[in-house]
Amino acid sequence: MEILKIENLTKYYGKVLAVKDLSLSLNEGEIFGFIGPNGAGKSTTIKSIMNLINKTSGNVYLNGELFTKEKIELKKIIGYLPSEISLYDDLTVKEILDYHESFYNKKINRRRKELVKRLQLAETKKIEDLSLGNLKKLGIILALMHEPKILILDEPTSGLDPIMQNIFYEILLEEKEKGTTIFYSTHVLSEISKICDRVGIIKDGKLLKIETIKELSKKNLTNVTIEIENNIDELIKDLAITPLLIDKNMIKFKNILDSNTLIKKISKYNIKNILIEEATLEDVFMHYYE
Amino acid sequence: MFKREMKINFKSFLIWTLSLVIVFFVVFLIYPSIINSENIEMMDEMMQMFPKELLKAFNMDLSSIDSAFGWLKTEGFVMILLVIGSYAGIMGSTILLKEENDKTIEYLNSLPIKRQNIVMSKVLCGTLYLLLMTLVIGIFNFIGLSLVEKFNIKQFLLLSITPLLPGLVIFFLTLFISTFTNKTKKMFGISLGIVFLSYVIQTVSMISEKTEFLKFFSVFTLADIRYVIQNISINPIMVIISISLSIILCILTIVHYNKKELV
Repeated sequence: MEILKIENLTKYYGKVLAVKDLSLSLNEGEIFGFIGPNGAGKSTTIKSIMNLINKTSGNVYLNGELFTKEKIELKKIIGYLPSEISLYDDLTVKEILDYHESFYNKKINRRRKELVKRLQLAETKKIEDLSLGNLKKLGIILALMHEPKILILDEPTSGLDPIMQNIFYEILLEEKEKGTTIFYSTHVLSEISKICDRVGIIKDGKLLKIETIKELSKKNLTNVTIEIENNIDELIKDLAITPLLIDKNMIKFKNILDSNTLIKKISKYNIKNILIEEATLEDVFMHYYE
Repeated sequence: MFKREMKINFKSFLIWTLSLVIVFFVVFLIYPSIINSENIEMMDEMMQMFPKELLKAFNMDLSSIDSAFGWLKTEGFVMILLVIGSYAGIMGSTILLKEENDKTIEYLNSLPIKRQNIVMSKVLCGTLYLLLMTLVIGIFNFIGLSLVEKFNIKQFLLLSITPLLPGLVIFFLTLFISTFTNKTKKMFGISLGIVFLSYVIQTVSMISEKTEFLKFFSVFTLADIRYVIQNISINPIMVIISISLSIILCILTIVHYNKKELV
């Protein structure tokens, strides 16, 4: 079942185009990655979904209903985490959580306690004294504690340490198991492959492509650097590649082979060093442009 | 949400109210001792030296400052007008805009609450604090005056209420203007500009018949202290205009805020 549908969303800031004719839909229980570089239109799309800004044209449907500013019942099923969370500095963590709780009729205290414990956040601390990471944790708790049907997360892991990031991914996967739909905006490619089912790639306000993670990983978008003892020209010939860089006996190239074939082909050489790196966002975009 | 608004705006309410209370406390404390027959004579002589138009501008043609109540009717209520007006202007221009300036609006907007309810919580809080400020200052002055001299209670009560009329209009006017910008600093200047320019225009309008038309451009005309002193009643037209303007500006604020881009 389609839970979030964006239909022909266009947004201009004055004469500047931010998002052009963007359409996508999310199915119940999926994690949809929304990836693009800074300024690609990710936050504008999210702010348009949240009705923080006015759409130049297009509509957003939530649970089959047109989602406008007035639809309070629909707001209740959303959990939102902005990229830069700003909360009331004068309050303590406990006070903001109480405040948040007061807006929802259902009992959410149990879930709140669970999340606070899991993300290891001290409720007695004042918000103004929280570090960036702890503020992010608080934002995550606020987005999740009322058990929303859809989570809209904008750069949710920025500021979190790797241990907390893993706990956060675990929480998201549990949410997915429960049937929560997650719209996950990021510019970190590895995050997408870790937890998402599908990915939407946005650049310059245009949605370039929507693909499943399986399809994306089949493309094996990696950069490989190999240093061998000798015969570098032979290796280039063997792999049938155009190197990005050649430096004596070291080459760097964009890998187009699947992992098995690559390993078989390079195994006959005396390898001094090998580095397989995740492709950069730019590589991914270039791939789709090509 | 309303409770939170009341809590965060309490400090500024206390500071503004206390500043006025302290001034009046000093006045009530020293006025009886400085006012004696010799001083009154000197003051009367001094007043005769001022042009009538100028005395009119400060209501000194209707009341002398030979008593604490006399001082209140002339300078005291002007001070109350300006302080309540400034407080209303600053509160109106920041109460809603603060959420955008502090970027807390993204969180607030994610909560299941309509934009018009956000505005109404702020409006209710602002209106209540203006009422409370008028009430606290009125009660304090009443006690202070009762301890130092006899005075016309009805006239005092009506004079105490009048600053509320321009106060409310200034609050709603600056609240409405604040929906056109995202910067509190800018609004801060605009609101104080409105208050002081209004006061200057109103003072100038009272100087001569030629400048009388200017009173229509000042929000302080709504207080009409002269009318209260002369008739011991509040001009009902001013009450109607103030309430109508406040309601219209409140509706316009809700309408425009609903369309506003909040980031």
